[in-house]
Amino acid sequence: MTAVILDGIVLGLQFGLLGVGLTLVYGLGGVLNLAHGQLAVVAAVVVTLVSDTGTAAGVAVAAGLLAAGVLGLLLDSTLMQPVYRQRGESRVLLGLLLTLGVAFMIDGFLIWRYPTRGLSLNIGGGAIPILGVRMRSGSLLASAISVVAGIGLVAFFRGSKLGRAVRSVIQDEEGARLVGVDPAAARRLIFVLSGVLAGLVAVTRSMTSPVTVTAGIDFTILALIVTVVGGLGSVLGAFLAGILLGIVNTVSSFYIGTYVTTIMLLLAAVLTIVFRPTGLLGRRT
Amino acid sequence: MTDAHGEDLAREANGSGFWMRSVAPIAATAAALALVPLWLGESRLLMGLAIAGLLFAAYAIAFNIIFGSTNQLFLCVGALAGIGGYATGLLTDRAGLPMPVGILAAAAAAGLVGGFISWVAVSRSLGVIFTGIVTLAFSLAFGNLLLGQRDLTGGETGLVIEAGTGTFLRQLVPPYYMFLALVVLYLVVYRVLHGSHIGWAFRAVRDDEITAELAGVNVARYRIYAGLIGSVMLGLAGALYAHNEGYIGPSTFGFGHVDVRVLVMLAFGGIGTLLGPVLGAVVFTILDEVLVGFGQLREVVYGALVVVLFLGFRRGFLPAVTSGFRRAGTWRSDDAPDRDESEMRS
Repeated sequence: MTAVILDGIVLGLQFGLLGVGLTLVYGLGGVLNLAHGQLAVVAAVVVTLVSDTGTAAGVAVAAGLLAAGVLGLLLDSTLMQPVYRQRGESRVLLGLLLTLGVAFMIDGFLIWRYPTRGLSLNIGGGAIPILGVRMRSGSLLASAISVVAGIGLVAFFRGSKLGRAVRSVIQDEEGARLVGVDPAAARRLIFVLSGVLAGLVAVTRSMTSPVTVTAGIDFTILALIVTVVGGLGSVLGAFLAGILLGIVNTVSSFYIGTYVTTIMLLLAAVLTIVFRPTGLLGRRT
Repeated sequence: MTDAHGEDLAREANGSGFWMRSVAPIAATAAALALVPLWLGESRLLMGLAIAGLLFAAYAIAFNIIFGSTNQLFLCVGALAGIGGYATGLLTDRAGLPMPVGILAAAAAAGLVGGFISWVAVSRSLGVIFTGIVTLAFSLAFGNLLLGQRDLTGGETGLVIEAGTGTFLRQLVPPYYMFLALVVLYLVVYRVLHGSHIGWAFRAVRDDEITAELAGVNVARYRIYAGLIGSVMLGLAGALYAHNEGYIGPSTFGFGHVDVRVLVMLAFGGIGTLLGPVLGAVVFTILDEVLVGFGQLREVVYGALVVVLFLGFRRGFLPAVTSGFRRAGTWRSDDAPDRDESEMRS
C-alpha cells in the first residue's frame, strides 16, 4: 500500500507540473490550450532527435524544452492574437477550437513523420529505499525535478517583481495596465513558460515510462482534469490536485484495473465541479 | 404524430414563409441526395463512403442542435454515438433482444448519458470551458472503458454484430436510403425545434442569455432538452450504423475519427444553420476521399481546416461566402447586420 501511494505521489507531481502550465495560460490569457499535451510530445520528439545525433543528454533535453517554449511563443504571437481580441465566452470558445485544431495538426504531423518514436530516459543507479519501499532512481529524480520546478514557480510568483507583475494581470488586467504592467508581455512570458513546463513534463515522465508520439491528447486531458480539480489559475492548487489525482490513479489502477483510472479521474473532475466548482484553491471568476 | 404536431407549431410561428423556408430546402436536399445511388450504386466502396457521409451528416445535425442552438460544447459526439452502437450490439447479440428494441434502447441510453451531462452542466451553470473539459474527459474515459471491458466490447479488436445479417441493412443501396431518411428526419427535427417556441427560446438563449432569462425563458430547461434530444439522435445514428456495418471498434467512435470531422463539417457548412451540417458532410466526404493517399497527413489538413475556418468564418464558410455574393449582387448591403463584425466589436 505504501508503495502504491508513493508511486501515486511520483505520478502526481508530474500531473501537477502538467496542470500548472495549462492553468497559468488560462488564468492569464483566458485561453484553455488544448494543444498543451502536444507541446510536451514535441519536446519529447526533439529530445530523441537531438540525442540520436550523439549529443549529450543534457543538451538534448535543453533543446527539447527550448522547442516547446518556442512553439508556445509562436502560438501566442500568431494564432492567439485574434483570440485575445475577443471577450468573455467567445474568447474561451475560439481559443478552445483553435488550439484543438493545432493539436490535430501537431498530432497528425508527428504521427506521420515519426510514427514509432518514443522518449524514454534511462536514469542509472539502483533502487533507493524510502519508507521501506525501494524506489527507482528515475522516479526520484523525476519527482525532485517536479518539486524544484514547483518551488521555483511559487518563488517566482511570490518573490520576484516580474512574477508579481504577472499575478497582477491575472487578478485585474485593467488595474495592472494602470500601474504600468504590459498584459501582452505577461501573456507571452507565461505562454513560453507553459511550453517549457510541458516539455519538462515529457522529460520527467520519460524517466519512469516511455512517452510515445500519440500521448498528446492523454496529456492534455490529464492537464485539464488537474486544472479543474485544482482550480483555474492556481499554481499550488494544480500541484495539490496533481498529487491527489496521482494517488487516485495508482490506487484505482492497482486495485481495479488500468482502464478504470481515466474514469476515476473523470469522476474526480465531475465531483469537483458539482461540489466545489472553483476547485481546491481556485478563485471565483 | 409528434412531427405533424410540431409542424403545426412551426407553421404558426413562421407564418406563410414556412414552406419556402423549411419544406423546400429539406425536400430539395433529400431529392438531390436520393439520386446519388443511381450514380454510385454499382460500387460497394463508393456506396459505403456515401453511407458514411450520411452518417456524419446525421452526427453533425445532432451536434448542431446541442452546440449550434444552445452553445453547449459537447466534445463527445463519438462517445455518445458509441454508446448507441455498443448498447444495441450487446442487447441484440448477447441479450437476444429483437433488433428494433435494441436500437431504441441504445438511443435511449445515449440520451440518458447526454441528458445527464447536460443536466450537470446546466445545474452548475458551467460555461463552455467546463462543459468542454468534462465531455472531452468523458470521451477518453469511454474509449478506455471499451479497451478495458474486453469481455463485453472485444477491446481493441472490436465487436462483430450479428443482428441485422440477412436483412436489408446489409444490402448495398437500401441502407443508403434508410440513412437518407434518418438525415431528413433529423433536419425536420431541427426545423421543428427551431420553428416552435422551443426554437425561439434556443435563439434567445444563444443570442443573449441574460435577456432571455429576464424575458421569462427557462434557459436551463431548454439547454437540457437540446442535450437530451441531440444525444438520442447521436445514439440512434450510431446504433443503426452498427447494424449496417456489422462491425464496431473503438476507432469507429473515437474522438479523432468522429469529433474532429464533425467540427470541420460544421465549421465549413455553418453553425446554427439548417443545411450547413449536410453540405459540410458532403464536401468533407469528398475531400476525405480525395486526400486518402495522404494517410496520417490528412489529420494535419483537418486541424488546419478547423483553425482557418473558425478563425476566418465564425458563422461557417458557406454562409460567409453566400452572404458575400448576396452583398455583391445587391450592391447595397442587405438589411441583416453582419454578425461577424458585430461579434468582433462586442
